[in-house]
Amino acid sequence: METSLFMHSLKPLAYLDPGTGSFLIQTLIAILASSIVVIGIYWRKVKNWFKKISGKEPGYVEADLENDDDV
Amino acid sequence: MFNASNASFRDPSGFLFEHKGKLYRQINQSYKSDYDLLINSGLYKILVDKGQLIPHEEVKVKPNIPNVAYKVIEPTLVPFISYPYEWSFNQLKNAALQTLNIQRRAMKYGLSLKDASAYNVQFVDGKPLLIDTLSFEIYEEGKPWVAYRQFCQHFLAPLALMSKIDIRLSQLLRIYIDGIPLDLTSELLPKNTHLNLKLKMHIHMHASAQKKYANLSVQKPENNPYLSQKSFEVLIESLRSTIKSLSWKPIGTEWADYYNETNYSDNAFAKKREVVKNMINKVKPKLIWDIGANTGFFSKVAIEEGSRVISYDIDPCAVDKNYLECKASKEKNILPLLLDLTNPSPALGWANSERMSFIQRGPADMVLALALVHHLAISNNVPLSRLAEFFKKCSNWLIIEFVPKEDSQVQRLLTTRKDIFDHYNKKDFESAFSTNFDIRESISIPGTKRTLYLMEAH
Repeated sequence: METSLFMHSLKPLAYLDPGTGSFLIQTLIAILASSIVVIGIYWRKVKNWFKKISGKEPGYVEADLENDDDV
Repeated sequence: MFNASNASFRDPSGFLFEHKGKLYRQINQSYKSDYDLLINSGLYKILVDKGQLIPHEEVKVKPNIPNVAYKVIEPTLVPFISYPYEWSFNQLKNAALQTLNIQRRAMKYGLSLKDASAYNVQFVDGKPLLIDTLSFEIYEEGKPWVAYRQFCQHFLAPLALMSKIDIRLSQLLRIYIDGIPLDLTSELLPKNTHLNLKLKMHIHMHASAQKKYANLSVQKPENNPYLSQKSFEVLIESLRSTIKSLSWKPIGTEWADYYNETNYSDNAFAKKREVVKNMINKVKPKLIWDIGANTGFFSKVAIEEGSRVISYDIDPCAVDKNYLECKASKEKNILPLLLDLTNPSPALGWANSERMSFIQRGPADMVLALALVHHLAISNNVPLSRLAEFFKKCSNWLIIEFVPKEDSQVQRLLTTRKDIFDHYNKKDFESAFSTNFDIRESISIPGTKRTLYLMEAH
C-alpha cells in the first residue's frame, strides 16, 4: 500500500498539461514559503521591538488572509 | 457577434457555441459533479455577488452535442473583449490578484481552479472578472495545483519582466499564446532576481524543475508528490505576495506629461473640449473608440454624454495612469487599452481564430481621432486616403482633428526628416476624407491652427 507521501490522482486525465516539473516543485516551494513566513514573522517582531523601544510606531501588518485584494 | 466558439474547444468539460445569434455554454456530463458543487456549495453565488465571476442562466436550449451534454447555460455577454497583451501593468496585476482571490475563496468551498489563464479574465465595468464558469473543479486534498504552471506563465512571468526589465515586454504575450515560457523568463530576468526569494522560487527554480523533469509523466503516481491543503494554501499565499511585491511606476515615458506640453492655451483647450462634447452629444453614440486617448481626458468628456469608451493609447504609461485614475474613481464606462495603430493586435491562436484582431472587435459607433492624424500621416507616412478608409472600417461616425504643418507639434515631427508631404494640408485632407465620409461639421479652434471635424461615413 502506498504511503501517504504519494497518492494516486483520482482524476488522471487532467486536460491541462501541468508539466511534471511544475507539479514536483510545488511541495518544495510550499516548504520554503512556509519557512520564509515563519522567519518573516520573527524578523518583524524583532524590528517592531526595536521600533517600540525607540518610540516609533510598529510597522508590521499581518497579511490579510481573510479579505480579498482590492482589484 | 464574435466567434467565441473558436476560442473554446480545449476543455472536455464543455464549450461555447452560438445558436440563433446568442451565445451559450454546453456543460458536459463529465463536468456534472464539479458544476453541481459549484452551484450547491454557494461558491457560484458568492463569486457573482462579489463581482468576481460572470453570471449565467440555465436555459432549455438544445445542446450543441446532445449525447455528452448535461446542461446548457447562457452566460452574460462581455461588452468588449480585450487580451492580456493589450493591458497595462496594473491591469495585468489586478487580473492576477483577482484570479488568486477566486482560488482562495474556492478552496473554502471545496473547489479549485483547474486553469489560470489570463484569457479567462475580462474587464467588465472596470474590474477584472472570471468569465470561464467551467474553470472550477472539485478539490481533492493531496493533488498539487494543476494551474500553477499556467498562472506563472500568464501572470507572474510577464509582470516580473515588465517590472524588472522593461514595460514593453508584455508584448511577448502576443507571441507566446499560453503565457511566457519560464525558461525564457528566467534567462531574461536580471541575475539579482536570484536573490529575490519569491522570484527565485516561482520563476527560477520552477523553470529548472520544468527542464529537469520534462520527460517524466505526471500521469504516473510516483511523479505526483502529496501537497496537503495547508501547503496548497501557503503556495497560493506565496504567489499572492509575489504578485503584490511587483510594481511599476508609470512615469518617464515620452507621453507621460503630454497634457502639460501641448500646443493649447487654457482657453483653446476649453474650447476644444466644448466642441468635442457638442459633437458627441449630436450623435449620442453608445460605444466610442478614443484612439490616442493618452490619459483619457476626452474619454471622460465622452462618458458625460452617456457613452461607453475604449480608451486606446500606444504608451503603456498613459494607459496605466488612465486605468489607475478610473479605478480610483470607480469608473465603469472607460476601458483603457494599449494600441499601436500602425500595428494593431492581429488575430492569433489556432487557425488565427482564437483571439480577435483589433478590427474584428468593431465596429464602434464613433471614433475619436484627436491630435492623432499628424502622427500617422507624417511620422508613419500613411497617406490620408488610407487613413480615411481605415477609419471607415472602424466606425460610421468620426470626430477627427486636423493638425496642419504650421502647428508647432508638426514642425517638431519634421525637424528630423525631409518634408515630402506635399499633400498634407487642410484642402487635401478634406478631399481625401470626403471620398469615404460626409463632413457634417468643421470647426476651427481659436488660438490654434487646428480644425475639428464631425464626419459620417457614406
